[in-house]
Amino acid sequence: MTYKVIGKRVKRVEDPRLLTGGALFVGDVNLPNMLHAAFFRSDYAHAKIKSIDTSRAKEIPGVVGVYTAEDMGEAWEPGPPLVSPPPTLEGVVFNSRRQVPLVKDKVKHAGEIIAVVVAESRYIAEDAVEEIFVDYEPLPAVTDLEKCLEPGHPLVHDDLDTNLAAHLVQNKGDYEAAKKEADLVLKRKFKLDRGAAAAMENRGIVVDWDQKNQHLMVWDTTQSPIPIRNGMATRLGLRTHQVRVVAPFVGGGFGPKIMMFYAEEMVLPWLTMKLNRPVKWIEDRKENFYATTQEREQVQEVEMALSKEGRILGIKQKIIHDTGAFDPYGLTTPLNTQSHSMGGYDVQNYNSELFVVFTNKIIVTPVRGAGRPQGIYIVERMLDIASKELKLDPRDVRRLNFIPKDAFPYNHEIIDQAFVELILDSGDYLPAYEKALEKIEYDKFVQEEQPRLRAEGKHVGIGVVPFIETTGVGPYEGARVAVEPSGKISAATGVGTQGQSHMTSFAQIIAEELGVEVEDVSLVSGDTAEIHWGTGTFASRGAVVAGNAVLAAASDVRKKVLKLASKILETPEDELELGGGLVRVVDIPEKSISLGELAVLANPFRGAVEPGTEPGLESIKYFGPAYGATAFGVHGMILEVDPETMMIKIHKYIAVEDCGTMLNPLVVEGQIHGGVSMGIGNAYYEKLHYDENAQLLNASLVDYLIPTSAEMPHIEVYHENTPAPNNKLGTKGVGEAGAIPVPAAFAQALENALPDFNLEITETPLSPNRLFELLYKSEE
Amino acid sequence: MKVEGEHLFTGTQQQVWDLFRDTEVMAAALPGTKKMELIGENTYEAVMNVRVGPVVGEFSGQLVISNEDHPNSYTMTVDGRGKPGFLKGVGDVILTNQGENQTLMGYTGEVQIGGKLAAVGQRLIDTVAKSIISQAFETLDNALAERVSAEAEGREAAYRKSSESDYAATVAKDLIKNVLKRTGSSEDS
Repeated sequence: MTYKVIGKRVKRVEDPRLLTGGALFVGDVNLPNMLHAAFFRSDYAHAKIKSIDTSRAKEIPGVVGVYTAEDMGEAWEPGPPLVSPPPTLEGVVFNSRRQVPLVKDKVKHAGEIIAVVVAESRYIAEDAVEEIFVDYEPLPAVTDLEKCLEPGHPLVHDDLDTNLAAHLVQNKGDYEAAKKEADLVLKRKFKLDRGAAAAMENRGIVVDWDQKNQHLMVWDTTQSPIPIRNGMATRLGLRTHQVRVVAPFVGGGFGPKIMMFYAEEMVLPWLTMKLNRPVKWIEDRKENFYATTQEREQVQEVEMALSKEGRILGIKQKIIHDTGAFDPYGLTTPLNTQSHSMGGYDVQNYNSELFVVFTNKIIVTPVRGAGRPQGIYIVERMLDIASKELKLDPRDVRRLNFIPKDAFPYNHEIIDQAFVELILDSGDYLPAYEKALEKIEYDKFVQEEQPRLRAEGKHVGIGVVPFIETTGVGPYEGARVAVEPSGKISAATGVGTQGQSHMTSFAQIIAEELGVEVEDVSLVSGDTAEIHWGTGTFASRGAVVAGNAVLAAASDVRKKVLKLASKILETPEDELELGGGLVRVVDIPEKSISLGELAVLANPFRGAVEPGTEPGLESIKYFGPAYGATAFGVHGMILEVDPETMMIKIHKYIAVEDCGTMLNPLVVEGQIHGGVSMGIGNAYYEKLHYDENAQLLNASLVDYLIPTSAEMPHIEVYHENTPAPNNKLGTKGVGEAGAIPVPAAFAQALENALPDFNLEITETPLSPNRLFELLYKSEE
Repeated sequence: MKVEGEHLFTGTQQQVWDLFRDTEVMAAALPGTKKMELIGENTYEAVMNVRVGPVVGEFSGQLVISNEDHPNSYTMTVDGRGKPGFLKGVGDVILTNQGENQTLMGYTGEVQIGGKLAAVGQRLIDTVAKSIISQAFETLDNALAERVSAEAEGREAAYRKSSESDYAATVAKDLIKNVLKRTGSSEDS
């Protein structure tokens, strides 16, 4: 009998260390002789620097140095362009402007770094920062997405004659022709605003240049250790093997930690090499609001053409996407918005024009969901509004439009974030949708519960929203798997871990393949000394891309094990089985050899091996999909609005997820829970308020509200399984799923809860305040 | 942030005008003012200690009086900067005679704030600004009364400087007032 552990609810093997304080975080790294850095950041969002005076800061005892852009000399250069625009799309305008380590002449967003202090302690460094004086010439800030492209508007980048960062058009079919056939053409404008990723652990870096070994050691809270290593080596003129980057345990990534290179990641390595001493910087919470990337701000004008039965004939869309002051991450986020604007629906005609604009706000790069929630929001809102206009049941409208099961793989015929055609690999959407309606007891709610509660004066509403999530895109990921002489398994992958349970779910794959216990597999993720190639943890691709690389490497080791065992046990390979850490002859179980013994035999100290033989029971394999694996889900909620305070209580929350094969349902459900909490924040609490000077007005966790356990409902998670056809495991990603449909479901439920008001929600995030304003407005 | 309001002074328009144009009086009226000096025509240099919730620090900057229409109106421009951030404001002050010995002072202005002051102090700044203003009016009322009576008695006016603890008490009072207003348990307007 083959040993099965993939798909089992295995408890996380990393938890004992995490829960008992035994896990290493960057903040735990303390080295002898270590210095501490603190940054002087601009209060102004847009200002010319007239002069910088660091003299008083330098005089403070314990300060080792204070540096500005000028001091960096030749080493000063902007960060690399991380993601280029898709070469597969024609007519793309893209103006690449990247963040700099230290500002030279003009500040482009509040929080940009003008000087760095290095001192014997962080306390001293912070005190010295207070003594730096910068004379500015404040400039009018660029904040308004719609106005910033008007002629004569102030410019973020003076060397460009526009605030346009990018422009492109994606087209499928013929929208204008479809519109002529339509019974209803709906037009709406949507405003989607910014939120913070607000990971529990802020960013942090410790760097240590070893002069004698000519080696740079880096601990970094990055989601992408290998590209950081490669980039640092290039920037510093070192060879890659002279730099080792470790991303140890990281307390949440959510996207911003894959941004490269943050200014601090450019400054610190330069400092340690200059000073020959280790240097540490841990971002504080206030810095995090100004220095770590954010997302979701867009203004969209959307047009949807429908038949009177509710069939979508076409969608036309104009997106203005705010990239902040720079655009290092290319077009990933707005391309994702386009990829999700047709949702899981069969839409034959689509025309989408995208304007990406520079503003004097914090840089935008993907945050969990990464453009997807905006796409799902507009398509689901449009369908809700259309259902009302056409007097149709919103459920029937969705049922009518889902891509049918036999239409997969379904080509949406636009280019996605991986630069290839957006092909939805597989799916079976209708049954998942029906399951969600059944689990939330939709009929019972609208027929019995809601009338009863309304009679009691309660404002209760229901929202059910389906969504797709494109996941598991390339380019590739790798894994190394090796049998140790002890018989235990060592494995490594280049994707960093920020809470995704890689050490458990990847170990399950290896354990099943090699017939060992999950506990006997030790997986290192995020250490460039352990594996040389890889990209990182992003786009919900760990289980798909790294997972299948792990499977490929484990399968290869299994082959080597069987080949060697066959020779030693003098039995054909097909008569052998792996289990309990042994290779056995199926019919004669007592005839066996342990994996450890095989590992020793595979690496002889003397004697001659056959030509062409590789030593050890080890393999490094890679996996790169032609296109992604698209997951599907449906979330439903029943909520109650307090008509006085506008506070919300979620009575019921259900999620039906189809992420193909589940490596570990516990882990999948954990991802959904985390995503939903982020989604609830995006829907009703978390909004970064910028004023007209691009000043952030709620840069603290007192004023920026993150849902706590009190705001979190009990979440019921149900599963469907349509295995991905293009990878052996059949996995699809699920890391971002939870966050994607929540704002749309929230809006639907709120409108449903407040039928007496002429409420039409076309913006997110909302808040009790904002809902009050909208209701007040609708009454007028 | 918009700042506007009015205050009725007991005094003639000329007396109120003189009061407002007296550096010493103004420095005394604004809580936390450490220094206010005339450095050029209608240009003052000021150092002020600001306390907005958790945001504390010294601001230094310039105050410029322009568009002077004696004794009716003038424009005040403030540009200050300090460790807690920056502050920039433009406002108009208008004095109108309201009958015998009564002068109405009206003010409207626009204030921009940035840095820590905006990021962390935002939720308190409104109350704090109002407190600073009400504290200032209280001091000015007293100063005006002292000035008028000193003038009548032919002696030198002695001002009592508004202390930071007076100001802190006013902020606390105003904050409580706001909370009570929000919970609807106060008749206070």
